[in-house]
Amino acid sequence: MIEPLERIDPAAGVVIDKASLRARVEERVHGTSPTPSRVGRRRLVAALASTAVVAAGLLVLQPSPPVDALPLLTPGFGGLGDLPGIDTVVTLEMGGVKTMAVDADTIWVMEARQRRLHRVDAELGEIETTYRIDAYVEGVVVGGDYLWLLSYDSGGEVLRFEPSSGRVDKRIPLGGEPRHGAAWFGDNLWVSNDQGQLMQISSSGEIVGTVTGELKGEGFGYLWANDPATGIISSLSADGTRGEFEIPTVTRGETADGWGVRSVAEGGPSLFLMDGYYPFGTNLSTFDPATGEFRSFVSLTFGLLDMVSYDGALWVTSHTDHVLMRVDPTTGQVRRYPMPGKPGGLVVADGSLWVSLYHPGALVRVDPAAGMLEMGPIVADDWNRYPHRLVCTGPEGTTGPTVILEPYDWIDYGSWSVVQARLTEEGYLVCVNGYVEGEASPQVRAADLEDALTAYGIPMPYVLVASGDGVHPLRLFAEDRSDLAGVVLVDPMPVGFGSFLDATLGEGGHPVWADISPDVSNSLDGLGNLPLTVIGQDPQAVFLSERALEGLGEEKAQAINAYWQEGLAVYSHLSIDATSVIAEGTGMHMVIWDRPDLVVRSVLEVIARG
Amino acid sequence: MEPEGLDRRQDSFDAFFESHYDSVYRYCLRRLGAADAEDAAAEVFAVAWRRIDKMPAPQVERAWLLGVAYRVIGNHFRGRMRWARLVGRLEFATSRADPGDSAVDGDFRLLHLALQGLRPADRELLRLASWDGLTRREIAEVMGINVNAVDQRLFRARARMKDRFERLREDELRVGTKEASA
Repeated sequence: MIEPLERIDPAAGVVIDKASLRARVEERVHGTSPTPSRVGRRRLVAALASTAVVAAGLLVLQPSPPVDALPLLTPGFGGLGDLPGIDTVVTLEMGGVKTMAVDADTIWVMEARQRRLHRVDAELGEIETTYRIDAYVEGVVVGGDYLWLLSYDSGGEVLRFEPSSGRVDKRIPLGGEPRHGAAWFGDNLWVSNDQGQLMQISSSGEIVGTVTGELKGEGFGYLWANDPATGIISSLSADGTRGEFEIPTVTRGETADGWGVRSVAEGGPSLFLMDGYYPFGTNLSTFDPATGEFRSFVSLTFGLLDMVSYDGALWVTSHTDHVLMRVDPTTGQVRRYPMPGKPGGLVVADGSLWVSLYHPGALVRVDPAAGMLEMGPIVADDWNRYPHRLVCTGPEGTTGPTVILEPYDWIDYGSWSVVQARLTEEGYLVCVNGYVEGEASPQVRAADLEDALTAYGIPMPYVLVASGDGVHPLRLFAEDRSDLAGVVLVDPMPVGFGSFLDATLGEGGHPVWADISPDVSNSLDGLGNLPLTVIGQDPQAVFLSERALEGLGEEKAQAINAYWQEGLAVYSHLSIDATSVIAEGTGMHMVIWDRPDLVVRSVLEVIARG
Repeated sequence: MEPEGLDRRQDSFDAFFESHYDSVYRYCLRRLGAADAEDAAAEVFAVAWRRIDKMPAPQVERAWLLGVAYRVIGNHFRGRMRWARLVGRLEFATSRADPGDSAVDGDFRLLHLALQGLRPADRELLRLASWDGLTRREIAEVMGINVNAVDQRLFRARARMKDRFERLREDELRVGTKEASA
């Protein structure tokens, strides 16, 4: 018989110092209370919102947390929320890049695939209201008392959304799908389409002008747009005057399928231009309006998506590396902060920097002053050979062991960023094996890893850490080696899982993984007495979750779980020095994000056992 | 006009504070420990002050406040920098709460261990039901789920708790037997 939980209530019998609590409340309320105008504005917003509900009978989903706070990032897991300086404010199905816009301390966030528009209170860090938008929207701009939603529907159109009523009250055909950029500038919306036209739309929804160009951003009181024919970027004034400044150095202007400028942003004394192989950024260049000088500034990495000025620096996201970068606009010094998901868009609201993440989706508030975790110094990085890549961080001159992280091919290598940063902090050299696009068989990956480690002289011994289907190349890599110090398998995929799913769910109902055949698996040696830890995801939160049981049916869900658990058992028998752990509460293949602490601890423990 | 408005706002808030300071403080105390409970509770009331004109109906006020506390603790305190420190402190507080070494006291310790070993969502459900004394409807409000889901999850959480507790006790008995025979 369990004693009632009330008997261990830590608050039972505690005497509360009410006066002290009240004093603290007063201090907060009156010491940092909103200004009257701000309070007034909040009342107005509240009044407008409630009016909207009554008057329009809207599809207003009531404030969070119902749908949005539940999923995989529930407080208490080791992932997102535990990273210093990163607050998970809103969980999203998927965050976007240009799908956020700021109006004072409100952030508007569009979830394109879910067709939901969230009004987020940046001060409180919560969704105030969610609207359903009947369109596929991948761009949001605030201006002229409206929200402007850039939609791909009907060949491309702009929807004018009225916040006070919560309704789309006008649709403006764009003559092409929205592309490249949009901004509220002067008294008009400026938006590019995929026909190389830059449209100028008044707040009444009329197209008042069209020029040739692709909008790249704002800075120094101008819009900046390129000429798709020449690649020349020039300034645009609010009255449409063009060419006061020109940046003629971007000669590879074919943005549709080649190298080109993705976006521009003002930072310090310069206009920064993010360029790279379409559609992502790779490098930063600068243009100084005072001198007219254009120069290459810093080479960052592949997969840059967005940049914004904040707190005296330029902040840049890389979705492939899962990092947020801080670039000093004067010296070019770069600091890299791992993000617990693929970072996309950046905005500044209520004095804070906000980042949208996808996979897993979230809107996070970043506080650089709170001691954010940083990536260690990069020792080796062959990103120029992308998509074939090895990236190593850690102290110079270390003698090993070196930790090798093999990603889940389905998720990609950047997903290790938090684990990599933490292990680097522990003083280890940590390398992430990239992927080989189009020929990512386990055999190729294993051979490629061998080549890269040799080419860069990465010191032995190696601790191998694999996630998901990364277990297969690592097993191949481990064959006949005597330079290993331990193995950690995170959420390892059983041999033949894809075939099993085909048989269970029907062919094609799942992603294709880099698997090995049972014959190959059976031919591989075990790991002898090499320290091994197998970390399994939580079956109760994944295969046996309410969602899975409902979606798959009890029988199939149980069968899939049984297959997966059997696989875990097989892996844990690979070594006579094996430990198994279940990462409780983790979501579907989310151990790296939900419990990076557990992965790091397991790696350190394996090293200690060796 | 404004001073009168402010007075009314203050009066409403005073009554609100009187009604709920106990629940809110204890909620924070149970999750953060004594050193930070006051700070967190103050933050919750500061949010309430800012939202006083959006306050829900009186019957769900407490649940709304605890929902704010749930997010304040989850997003702010944990995310900022204090989580590890707070968890350590809470564990310390928990271990101090162990009254002694009798069989009953041993069960208390196992209860703590079993509770700590649960999934966070399960743990929170049980705490809301047992310690904070919330109704099913209030729990649903705090956690942002529907009442049926509360029923199902509570049932499962209790089963898991019982299972964990019994396994821990079996382990303990086994160890005790081994030690005795040695």
